[in-house]
Amino acid sequence: MAISGKRERRSMWFASVPMGLLALSCIYPLYFALNNALKDNRGYILDRFGMVTDPSFENFVTAWSRARFSEYFLNSVITTGGAVATLLLVSSMAGFALAVLRFPFRRTVFVLILASLMIPVQVILVPFYQTIIATGLLNTRIGLIISYTAFFLPFSIYLMTAFYAGIPRDLTEAARIDGARFLQVWWYVMLPMGKPALLTLGILNTLYCWNDVLISLLVLQNERTLMVGITALRGEYTTNVPLLAAGIVLAAAPIVVIYLVFQRRIVAGIAAGAVKG
Amino acid sequence: MSNLALENVHKSFGSVDVIKGVDLEISPGEFVVFVGPSGCGKSTLLRMIAGLEDVSSGTISIADKDVTSLEPYDRGIAMVFQSYALYPHMTVAENMGFALRLAGKSKAEWRLIVEDAAKILQIDALLDRKPAELSGGQRQRVAIGRAIVRKPEVFLFDEPLSNLDAELRVQTRIEIARLHQTLDTTMIYVTHDQTEAMTLADRIVVLRGGKIEQVGKPTDLYDDPDNAFVAGFIGSPAMNFLACEAVNANTVRVEGLEVKLPSLKIALNLGQKLRLGIRPEHLNGTKGPSLKIKMDVVEQLGATAFVHGKMESGTPILVEARASRPKAGELIDVPFAPEYIYLFDGDGQRIR
Repeated sequence: MAISGKRERRSMWFASVPMGLLALSCIYPLYFALNNALKDNRGYILDRFGMVTDPSFENFVTAWSRARFSEYFLNSVITTGGAVATLLLVSSMAGFALAVLRFPFRRTVFVLILASLMIPVQVILVPFYQTIIATGLLNTRIGLIISYTAFFLPFSIYLMTAFYAGIPRDLTEAARIDGARFLQVWWYVMLPMGKPALLTLGILNTLYCWNDVLISLLVLQNERTLMVGITALRGEYTTNVPLLAAGIVLAAAPIVVIYLVFQRRIVAGIAAGAVKG
Repeated sequence: MSNLALENVHKSFGSVDVIKGVDLEISPGEFVVFVGPSGCGKSTLLRMIAGLEDVSSGTISIADKDVTSLEPYDRGIAMVFQSYALYPHMTVAENMGFALRLAGKSKAEWRLIVEDAAKILQIDALLDRKPAELSGGQRQRVAIGRAIVRKPEVFLFDEPLSNLDAELRVQTRIEIARLHQTLDTTMIYVTHDQTEAMTLADRIVVLRGGKIEQVGKPTDLYDDPDNAFVAGFIGSPAMNFLACEAVNANTVRVEGLEVKLPSLKIALNLGQKLRLGIRPEHLNGTKGPSLKIKMDVVEQLGATAFVHGKMESGTPILVEARASRPKAGELIDVPFAPEYIYLFDGDGQRIR
């Protein structure tokens, strides 16, 4: 690129126009939500797209306290945190078992797990819901944690297996000679070595769980998670858009923070998932 | 008393037999080298001793205890891997002390033992570094250190020098020899490099196709090989083999030349097809029967030269020329002493 001529450089500028528009289309909804969250309902009706003139945090306060967002927020934190912790624990152990241990029917188990990756959530909603009722997990946070774990586990196991398969066998064998039992091999060697993959998985699964509406809507019907809470802010005939926007900002804030902190990792992680295996 | 004993050890992967009945006794403090071409089963045999591979049949005993079905950590062995296999997330000290930590030693205790071992290996300045910050040679020392701190009955080395460059390899080889003298522990060492085998071993075990071809002191294998395989494998450059035919009880004809073999104990049958082996370094005598060789390529090494030539029949032959500085294309006579000739029958077994 360094030796490209003037014409080439000019055409690069042309490429930046659609790319800029794309970036704008991603940023704009965030701007729209934040901008309108700071207006009151009247201000919004009078001018939907203009910049806020008289910003007020009234909507955030209302959403947090009166619209029970504090409660929803806690639900989201508990279910996401619980599910991600379980996912990391189980996928790291399963990945270790599938990649390193030579147990009977290892390949069959792996293929079955991979096959479950192909089944979309929507297809099994009815049996899933019936199972949740039958097991008495309806309207419990633990039920939602288990559900998230179940739905996101195949991908997590797949990623961890692929990652651990790339770790030289000599390392686990050296640990066995050093006196480590299987669980110790996992704890002292595989778990710390899996850190990069686990971090990526942690971030991705946090995004999935936090942003989920469908599973949460089915399992937690009395209490709600944030994303379900937001959809409930929409009335049948009228919607208080500034209040809704404030809810969206509150719900998106942790995700945006996570994204800003870990953005390199997220990109690397998605690429790893795409290429490995 | 033996420190390690293998009795009729077999190993198969599915229907493929990899180790086909190995019997071996190793005395305490002995340095034994398993050597053979790739695929001969030497690494598999070592891994079976380590407990990393199951034994299909037969028994393995270490210090007179049957360990055949014991886990690696209960066998009293320590192993140095070709890839070093250091834990990348631990410091050098933690790597070396890992086994002691698992055995329940306190940090102060294991740190002390690790520091002692590090001093022997001259890596005491590196204890707080991570493996990624070390050179290949240093990593190899850490791997050896990790084995030392466990004070095992038997040390196992799986091609430990293969990943080092030529100079470091020689240096580390000497260090391993020195270490063996200091520790006086049984060591089993796997390599495909016969120079390593010759220089390190008290006894060499030559393996081929999952079977032991010959066991013996390095010089015994060199001077008195049991078969053509061992004769060809031990010694560098490798022995020349020429087709020959018996013309009477103790004389063979090779390339039209009749050679009398006075030391032969068995009478040969007239017309028997045989193979004659002679090492390149023995093809530079001054008298005796001599072969005519047309020189092809000459590799000058300074002190000596390797001459790749052809016999009249077209059979290639390698000659080590010490005194002369031959040039390619010349026709030369290479005399040799008949006592350096080895005879092998059609199956490659030695005829003495």
